[in-house]
Amino acid sequence: MKSIGASFRRFRRKPAFTGFILFLVVLLLNIIVQGWSQCLSKGFSVGNALAFFQPTSLNSIFMSNMPFILVTIGQALLLLVGQMDVSIGVQIALVNVVCIMVPQQTGCPTWVGWLVGFAAAFAISALAGVCCSVLRLPSLLATYAMTFLIQGINVLIMAVPQGVVPRAYWKPYQSTVYGLFENPPSFLKFLDYIPVAALVLIAVLLIWHFFSRRPFGKHIYAVGTNQRNAFAAGINPVSTQMKAFLIKGFFVGVAGICLTLMSASGNPLQCEEYGIKSLSAAIIGGMGWGGWGSISCGVFGGGFLVLIQNAVYYFFTLLSKLFNGFAVTSYWHNFVSDIIIFGGLLMTLVTAREQRKTLQQGLKSQFKRGEKNVK
Amino acid sequence: MSNKSTMEFQSNKDFFSRVNLFVQTHTALMAVIIAAILFVATIIINPRSFNLVAIGNIVLLTVILSIPAAGQTMVLIGGGMDFGVGAVMSATAILTTYTMRGENGHFLPVLLISIAIGVVVGFVNGFCSVKIGLPAMIVTMAIANIVTRLQYILTQGVLSGTASPLLAATVKFKIGGVIPHVAVYALIIWPLVFYILNKSRFGKQLYLVGNNPAAAKLTGIKVDKVRIISYIFSGVLAAFAGIIGAAYMSTARCQIFDGYAYDSLIATIIGGTTFAGGSGSYAGSIAGSLVMVLLSNLLTSLNLASPIRNVLNAIILVLLLMLYNRGKAVRQ
Repeated sequence: MKSIGASFRRFRRKPAFTGFILFLVVLLLNIIVQGWSQCLSKGFSVGNALAFFQPTSLNSIFMSNMPFILVTIGQALLLLVGQMDVSIGVQIALVNVVCIMVPQQTGCPTWVGWLVGFAAAFAISALAGVCCSVLRLPSLLATYAMTFLIQGINVLIMAVPQGVVPRAYWKPYQSTVYGLFENPPSFLKFLDYIPVAALVLIAVLLIWHFFSRRPFGKHIYAVGTNQRNAFAAGINPVSTQMKAFLIKGFFVGVAGICLTLMSASGNPLQCEEYGIKSLSAAIIGGMGWGGWGSISCGVFGGGFLVLIQNAVYYFFTLLSKLFNGFAVTSYWHNFVSDIIIFGGLLMTLVTAREQRKTLQQGLKSQFKRGEKNVK
Repeated sequence: MSNKSTMEFQSNKDFFSRVNLFVQTHTALMAVIIAAILFVATIIINPRSFNLVAIGNIVLLTVILSIPAAGQTMVLIGGGMDFGVGAVMSATAILTTYTMRGENGHFLPVLLISIAIGVVVGFVNGFCSVKIGLPAMIVTMAIANIVTRLQYILTQGVLSGTASPLLAATVKFKIGGVIPHVAVYALIIWPLVFYILNKSRFGKQLYLVGNNPAAAKLTGIKVDKVRIISYIFSGVLAAFAGIIGAAYMSTARCQIFDGYAYDSLIATIIGGTTFAGGSGSYAGSIAGSLVMVLLSNLLTSLNLASPIRNVLNAIILVLLLMLYNRGKAVRQ
């Protein structure tokens, strides 16, 4: 019991605590609203009350929002080293366009297109890194300018939305693990609750885990907090930031492929708003500007934004079922979810203040203990 | 031989460092020079673009952009950033067309409500970023999103109403066929902003607050109050720019002026105001606005396909940023 309390206290000092609490609240809200709404229309039962956890509902949430969550993770990584990229949204559109057009124009297999898409993601991220880190331009304005560049390239590659992806590719991504089997044995039924898209997220997080264990994982914090001090300590700030941009390029590549599999077609002018949305998601998740936060902040922040939109949608369906004749346009959905996102931003302050306090107390107690030992 | 080449190199280096020094000390003048280069380039590429109508349009667009840029300059000098100017402009533009519906005589209520919107949004922006301490960029963006959603709820995404003929005439009518009437607005607003920034007590306090908040606090300045007022000025100026923009466009759809958030920011930065706060001038921001307008004018006169225009726009913007807005090197 004591160890649980101790580990909770330790978790409370972690940057991801803010985002985790907000994520938990909105998850509960989502479960209640969706379950209630389902019970009203289909009669009360335990299955309907937990409608959120039904395989189709879970799967559609994971599948359609995986690109955004991956983008938020990339954005969180950049924020850690004190940079940002508002062109990250159009970058995944670029990967999408390349993945569709390369097989379509050259007749090569789809996976070659994916490799070229990854290469494009790395190249464009490296370019953004050169502008922000090597040339030291203000990253907000430089990457905003790059939004024009990438959108121009997208339209040059693909003028209008078009293209198809073979069914053999998008079908597995859009199904659950259980759905992958031809004739599944019934004792594996629990696998129906694991969407394939969730496995993508887990794989990406494992790859990040590998990076964070290397010296690079410490360097990003040093560089993000103070470049000059990091340099004095023998860390090359430019190369660390470039590495961060390249790893972000990997996340963008995966996100772009998820986007391609999700829509099974190409659109050169989509996802532009992801750039700014992912920034606020990362901040809601508990990121600071440089040196404060972790990748899990990105996961929770992205999850928060995704679940808010879902919850607001079911909230209005619930209202229309509770009160006959209640109907609003989707503009109201967006308005309410934006108000809640703003509320989430204000909430980070309350939780972050708590965090800072605990952090300071922790530092102070260590300091005092040190003094005592000296005496 | 080698000695001579070293000397040449030395003098070259001197030349570059002198140019660099000039750029860094005369940012406003530099922006005017860039604007002149862009204008001459436009005329060389397309001689027909050198006519009175085009020049009148350049003046008009520059004046419209210079108004939100004024607010942006104040906020940046105080050490903040305002991403909400575009959304406020769109909101008041929609309000103008929806209230006027092509009739005269609604100007005063529209002006008062718009200014109220500007004050409220500016105050919320300022309060959240200064008092509560959230990152200015994120919080102003979140509030701008809410303002945008309100536009959609008000209009249901439908285009309706036009600016009154009288208001449109005060903006578009050209004195002597060249200078648009909007210059009159500029004659009111520009001196006012110059006075606020350079002569008034608030302006002096704002520079000190941006430069060194701790020192400002020690001299007895209410730092938070000064900063919040700078956000309110930004909101009000953007609201006013929205009315003029509506008069220029006649009709207004949702998010029509959202691009002005970035445009005003880049214009201000080109004009020599820095992200760090405490330095900058409104003259620079006006010159920066002129650069932005002439840049888009140049790209339109090139008559290129829109994707290539986008790519060129990006490259020129990055070059402009590279010219004199680079951060300090870690190694010095």
